[in-house]
Amino acid sequence: MVAIFAAFIAAGGIFSAYGINPIHAYAVIAHDALVVPGAFPEIFRSTIPLLLTGVGLVLAFRAQFYNIGAEGQLLAGAVAATGVALFTPVRGPMTLPVMFAAGFVGGALWGLLPSLLKLRLNVNEVITTLMMNYIALYFVSWLVTGPWRGPSVRGFAYTDQFPAAAWLPLIPGTRIHWPTLALGVVLAAGCAVLLARTRLGFAIRVQGENPEAARYVGINALRTTLLVMLLSGGAAGLAGVGEVAGVHHKLLDPNQVSLGYGYTAIIVAWLARGQALATLITATLFGLIYSSGDVMQVSLQMPFRVTSVFNGLILFFLIGSERLLAYRVRWAPRPAPADPPAPAAAPHRPSGEEQWE
Amino acid sequence: MRGHVSRWLTSAVVIAVLLAFIPMGYAQQKLKVGFIYVGPIGDYGWTNAHDVARRLVEQQLPVETLYVESVPEGRVEPFIDRLVAQGAKVIFTTSFGFMDGTVAAAQRYPNVIFAHASGFKRARNLATYMADFYQVYYLNGLMAGALTKTNKVGYVGAFPIPEVKRHLDAYALGVRAVNPQATIQVRWLQDWFSPPKAKEATQALIADGVDVFAFTEDSPTVIQESAKKNLLSFAHYSPMYKFAPKQVVSGELVHWETIYLDFLRKVLAGKYSADNLQNVDYWWLLAEKAVEVGAEPGMMINPLFVSRLKAATVKTEDLGTLSVYDLVQKRIAQMSKNPVAFDPFAGPIKDRKGVLRVPAGQTLTVAELTSMEWAASGVVGPWPGEP
Repeated sequence: MVAIFAAFIAAGGIFSAYGINPIHAYAVIAHDALVVPGAFPEIFRSTIPLLLTGVGLVLAFRAQFYNIGAEGQLLAGAVAATGVALFTPVRGPMTLPVMFAAGFVGGALWGLLPSLLKLRLNVNEVITTLMMNYIALYFVSWLVTGPWRGPSVRGFAYTDQFPAAAWLPLIPGTRIHWPTLALGVVLAAGCAVLLARTRLGFAIRVQGENPEAARYVGINALRTTLLVMLLSGGAAGLAGVGEVAGVHHKLLDPNQVSLGYGYTAIIVAWLARGQALATLITATLFGLIYSSGDVMQVSLQMPFRVTSVFNGLILFFLIGSERLLAYRVRWAPRPAPADPPAPAAAPHRPSGEEQWE
Repeated sequence: MRGHVSRWLTSAVVIAVLLAFIPMGYAQQKLKVGFIYVGPIGDYGWTNAHDVARRLVEQQLPVETLYVESVPEGRVEPFIDRLVAQGAKVIFTTSFGFMDGTVAAAQRYPNVIFAHASGFKRARNLATYMADFYQVYYLNGLMAGALTKTNKVGYVGAFPIPEVKRHLDAYALGVRAVNPQATIQVRWLQDWFSPPKAKEATQALIADGVDVFAFTEDSPTVIQESAKKNLLSFAHYSPMYKFAPKQVVSGELVHWETIYLDFLRKVLAGKYSADNLQNVDYWWLLAEKAVEVGAEPGMMINPLFVSRLKAATVKTEDLGTLSVYDLVQKRIAQMSKNPVAFDPFAGPIKDRKGVLRVPAGQTLTVAELTSMEWAASGVVGPWPGEP
């Protein structure tokens, strides 16, 4: 909370520099992002992909597998779903479930290669997953400018529109594709249970906190990591399905399919501090941040770059303060100079207490 | 406990103060017009040109404008929602990728007037508009054909889509009309804005022996890069004369404000409403002054090159033998009439594979122009999607 307020104050400086009264600015943002009819649900549209991807990343991070490749896994899911929607005979009510299944498999497979490299050759997963993002990006680019370019789009780089059966239903009056949202919530809950109550969850936690101990107690690192990455990539793939089937209804330029969700989800997962259910909150928070940025552009007529700076500031303060959350602030009277330097605090230290003047 | 209460009190006061600042809806006098841009307004190309036009509109008409820049394609509908919530009654969406979103929004807000640039879907409250350059590219091509010494002119294209192919073909037809030996060397960037790629493509073309450049990319990179070797170029979209005053010959300039002013005047006069736009399609060219030949407003041809263009002669079927300079002037005059007395795509025209694309005595319809995929003869290089 303190972090957010600090960010607001810093951002207030930007508003002032831009010639807008900061209090007025925040009032407008609060009003237009939350109160204006139809504005509130918009928050959840960017929450959906962040939630799904974020939950998957929480799993991976808990196993100490630094999956930076959610963006590519998301795109792989989007490609798989597009393939089902446009190029298979699957039609009717089965279309969407098959698309989701294909998207999950697509994302999972995209995450599989880096995990195999890590497990077999001990190649750093940060690099491989990141590079796989670019492969996915250019693959999608190639598809929409090449073999999958639709005959109906007059040469522009899009596939044809999906048939109606491949459109996700929306909550009436909003643009929230609710099946994906429901999937995200279920997945978050499922992962929480998985982590806390199952053997695999236990294996993941031990593996993440102490790989040596995991090996000692006979946890199969290969199996654990593979399963984690399949789930993590698959979840990102589901997010990709949601974007193409719920928002775009076609495959298009990769930078338009995903607005960097795979990368933002890293922060979503990080702020959730390894708790799958907490992604529900952090993803919504990010939806709100995105939405406020939109409001600033429209209602305050601020340039796009200023809103980016604003969003960046909030993130900066949030992440910066994340470390401090380990400590509890306690106001203490100034210790008398004669006092010995409190070595006695040692027993409290591990519990993360610190004295601030 | 006390701490809790006072914290809640503080929060309540803060929220109350915030709420007090919320602007309550006040009566609107002026027509509110919203613009949705695909790029940043400082891009030195497409979006900038629309924004320049928006500001001119705001000066000249009793309207208030709102804009949103760098809008991702999947977010056009929520942004339209927000503009409507702000009271916008007319909304322009300025990118092809916004088409389906604009169509959906037009259904959702039947009383708001929409206009979508470069698309082909219309509705009772959704018009389409486009200021097209193909005539201007043809005129640039005439000049390029006269000025090349290596008989190789270059073209750095953004995407191999019909719009760019049409411009490239018109340019090639112009080059060949003056200089039948010349070839038009093509490089594609697969990007609308990418100075690094444009630089690379220009260097590759220079290595191929190209000495005159034209391009479709939203930065002056091609001009700057070719000017380093003192090679000539034609500006694209924005006034780029100043980037190489000794090398820029001419170029294409757009005046979106002609379309915006005309459209909004008709809205203000009640001629256009949210009910009668089904067949409103602006396809505006030289005659409507939506586009201009030149690298700087008012300067059609860089004075440094006038004497060379006057010295070069060309034989034409309809105008006899004349200087290239005079030919350019005559063609501009012919294309500034409405209906035009000359069209670059007047048959017979064969593509580079020898297939007859425009039969003798015919020209292309707007639909044929906007779906053009073939390559004009003289074009050398890759051509994705060539029929």
